[in-house]
Amino acid sequence: MPDITSVINTLDERRPYIELKQANKSGELACDNTSIAGSMSQRACVYSGARVALNPVTDAIHLVHGPIGCASYTWDIRGSLSSDKETFRTSFSTDMKELDVVFGGEKKLSKSIDELVELYNPPVIFVYSTCIVGIIGDDLEAICKEATERVGIPVLPVQSEGFKGTKSDGYKAACHALMQLIGTKEPEIISEYRINILGDYNVAGDVWLVKPLFEKMGIQVITSMTGDATADSISKAHGAQLNLVQCSGSMTYLAKWMKKEFGIPFTKVSYFGIEDLAIALRSTAEFFGSEEMMNIAEEIIEQETNRIMPEIQEIRSRLEGKTAAIYMGGAAKALTLIKGFRELGMEVVIIGTQTGKRDDYKQISYQVKDGTVIVDDANPLELADLLVNQKADLMVAGVKERFLAYKLGVSFCDFNHDRTIEFEGYDGFLNFARELDTSVNSPVWRYVGSKIEDSYSGSSGAEQTTDSTAKAGTIKKIEGESNMQEISPITFQQEPVA
Amino acid sequence: MSERNYTTVNPCIMCQPIGSVMAFKGIEDSMVLLHGSQGCSTYMRLHLAHHFREPVDIGSSSLSEKGAVYGGSENLKKGLKNIILRYNPKVIGVSTTCLAETIGDDISRIISEFREEEGVGDERIIIPVPTPSYEDSHNSGYIKAVEAIVKTFTLDDSKKAIFNNKLNVVLSENISPEDTRELKHLFDSIVGQNSYILLPDISETFDAPMTGDLHKIPPGGTTHADIADMKNSAATIGLGITNDNKAVNYLKQTFDIPSQNLPLPIGLEYTDRVLAALSNISGAEIPDEFQKERGRLIDAMVDSHKYVYGTKVAIYGDPNNVLGMLSLVLENGMHPILVVASSKSPRFAEQAMERVKQVKPDCDVTILEDVDFDTFNDAVKKAKPQMLIGNSNGKYIAKEMNIPLIRFGFPIHDRVGAQRLLTLGYKGAMRMLDRITNTILEVEDTELAAKWSEPESYVPLGESSFHSAEA
Repeated sequence: MPDITSVINTLDERRPYIELKQANKSGELACDNTSIAGSMSQRACVYSGARVALNPVTDAIHLVHGPIGCASYTWDIRGSLSSDKETFRTSFSTDMKELDVVFGGEKKLSKSIDELVELYNPPVIFVYSTCIVGIIGDDLEAICKEATERVGIPVLPVQSEGFKGTKSDGYKAACHALMQLIGTKEPEIISEYRINILGDYNVAGDVWLVKPLFEKMGIQVITSMTGDATADSISKAHGAQLNLVQCSGSMTYLAKWMKKEFGIPFTKVSYFGIEDLAIALRSTAEFFGSEEMMNIAEEIIEQETNRIMPEIQEIRSRLEGKTAAIYMGGAAKALTLIKGFRELGMEVVIIGTQTGKRDDYKQISYQVKDGTVIVDDANPLELADLLVNQKADLMVAGVKERFLAYKLGVSFCDFNHDRTIEFEGYDGFLNFARELDTSVNSPVWRYVGSKIEDSYSGSSGAEQTTDSTAKAGTIKKIEGESNMQEISPITFQQEPVA
Repeated sequence: MSERNYTTVNPCIMCQPIGSVMAFKGIEDSMVLLHGSQGCSTYMRLHLAHHFREPVDIGSSSLSEKGAVYGGSENLKKGLKNIILRYNPKVIGVSTTCLAETIGDDISRIISEFREEEGVGDERIIIPVPTPSYEDSHNSGYIKAVEAIVKTFTLDDSKKAIFNNKLNVVLSENISPEDTRELKHLFDSIVGQNSYILLPDISETFDAPMTGDLHKIPPGGTTHADIADMKNSAATIGLGITNDNKAVNYLKQTFDIPSQNLPLPIGLEYTDRVLAALSNISGAEIPDEFQKERGRLIDAMVDSHKYVYGTKVAIYGDPNNVLGMLSLVLENGMHPILVVASSKSPRFAEQAMERVKQVKPDCDVTILEDVDFDTFNDAVKKAKPQMLIGNSNGKYIAKEMNIPLIRFGFPIHDRVGAQRLLTLGYKGAMRMLDRITNTILEVEDTELAAKWSEPESYVPLGESSFHSAEA
């Protein structure tokens, strides 16, 4: 196997971040660093990390202290759903202008807080700081403390100046804000078994497919953080006996704190895919040591698996042998996706994350087969080269990667925060399988790269004629390289478009 | 919600850098680097990719805490170097963000140092634009970037090149790739194919055909030779009349090029105005094609007039686009009850009012600018329009009021085809009018279906009737 660095062309400084998994070679992937200037990282900033982790708190006011852009681009950015209030879908900003930058934005922020309390009467306000606040030195901490006393609700600072670290630091800032709430109210206890679901953002209603499974097992779910969480439910989170952490990148920090502060242990789980779901249910039942609960868990696992299996099998027959590229924000999702793809008969050939840590990559490396490329903080050109070289049939990532894959004729599945279909739980996995099926098996791909002449040439089976060498500045999809997207000549009679 | 003095709720505008990106993306072989923290470029890439449904690469100098304290020079230079290594663009736009502006980096000096240290020659054009988010909006960012591009390319006036007898056409607000193609068709047909220079031109760059190849930098955009040649042109047309088109002013003041600002050709009369001006400037007849197209538009207007007449609409979005749509709506007998521009501009309110007076002086209309969506929503609730025309962000209030939203402008994130929306010219007006009319008919169908039953006062012939057969 050639070393990956000779397979794809990238900046010298980026080479340690890309690795080809090989049996007798275990290099350590570089990761967890700030992005290289001009490398076109797919990452966002500290503020974005804080915002995505906290934003789903449904009844909170999320006030962005800074110029308008930061609030504009994050307005209703997550597909998180709420079972009650929708305050979180509104974008609030102090909209700092030049004068505020020169004279400081503290006064405006205080007045803005007062105004919002009066108009919306929220149970909590999260105040996010942006780049500029860190430079002009507004004392967010002090203003929020004063405001809390003045207005009588928690006004919590989220120290998320964009440049002060990476997206992961933003997660921490979000966790710090949550810490201020947890333990401030007494939970109503209705079961002797109680958990919190951490690191689930209820995107497209994911939590709603998971929570009932635990409730069937007799477990009280005190809160889910932060998907469909309310200020009230978060403040009672200390009433749980176990924290289940899914998105480990964002919520392990909080789980560790809750362990230290309240003695609540945590387990890392995933609700995606048949195997991981079963593990999540079983390990929870095991934790509580109740035989009855374990029996119910087994019953759920059997029933639900049997229920979705016929369709999964049918879809699997169409996906079998296809190759997948994974590029995710966090490592937890990437890891669970490897298993999910395996359950659908697909093989992962590229896997990368924006915020993975050393241990995450070790686990990833353990899970994937030789010849898989592992990449940290990838950029579009690297991803494009990898998609072509690794012959990926499908990519699972977010919006920025979607159109890149499309241009290369690679099918795509959106597994980011703006998807509208649930992927968790049993029905969620079915949705995921259907989504892959829809994209991979669509007839549109055969037209990518085709020409009018091909339609009339009638030269059956002849490969489409393209330049044999890639033009400068373009990444050429090498013809016939993938088992699904062979560019076959189009004949109108032969292939009616569905 | 109600009167607010300190908080902006659901912004109508985006920040200056994204406007500058839209301008630079209309230049051949160019890349943009945002000097600031990593998030700015990523958010804008997301926002633009969502709308245009194309890959959008925007570089970042990825400023960190160290850079913020000791200056961002090192990061900016490295960013430039890496962009050149990876993308090899001939033009690099360097737009600043709040962070870079606040720490006070001297961008021009850093660029000169970079050129010297790395031996980067003059053939590589680097264009700095100061675009902090705390000033103005995406609309001003666009205008500033276009001006910076023109200035940089025409800087070398050591010897005045030869008069080219061309017409400069400079946009002052973003339009869709499809609209750009229509505009080019108009100019091609009237002024002649190589007789005008359109800046910026996103017709190919933000709506690239699928070929199976991925271009690092999508082909298309205004050519460098053309931009450099703008100083030799015979005249300039600025498209958009609500804002000061800085590039137009610059060309006029520096190179004595006579200029004229015209509205975006949206609707019948504004298109007439632009076509007449073109014919005037070029001395060419307006081709028969457009006379016919105009005739078809009027035919369409007549076909639709009873359906659309009096329909109360609210229009919102970027000022010049809104002004054009206002004109179209007025011409068709609709009632623009609420007209809102996202950002402040010197002549929007005045122009909008003038247009109302010209077509429907008795029309009561509320004109707002530089407001957030919360204010807009309140105004919608008060004015009770029957239809909204604007970008995706009106979907919340449209849903709440149970009225249709005709999507137009930027951003459109929840429907496909934003890059292919055609609004300009007679053709665009027809397209738009058909959409409006059919939307009204759709609503009427639903409402009529509910109404299609006998009036309650109607008493059927029954047993109690005196002439009932069974009586």
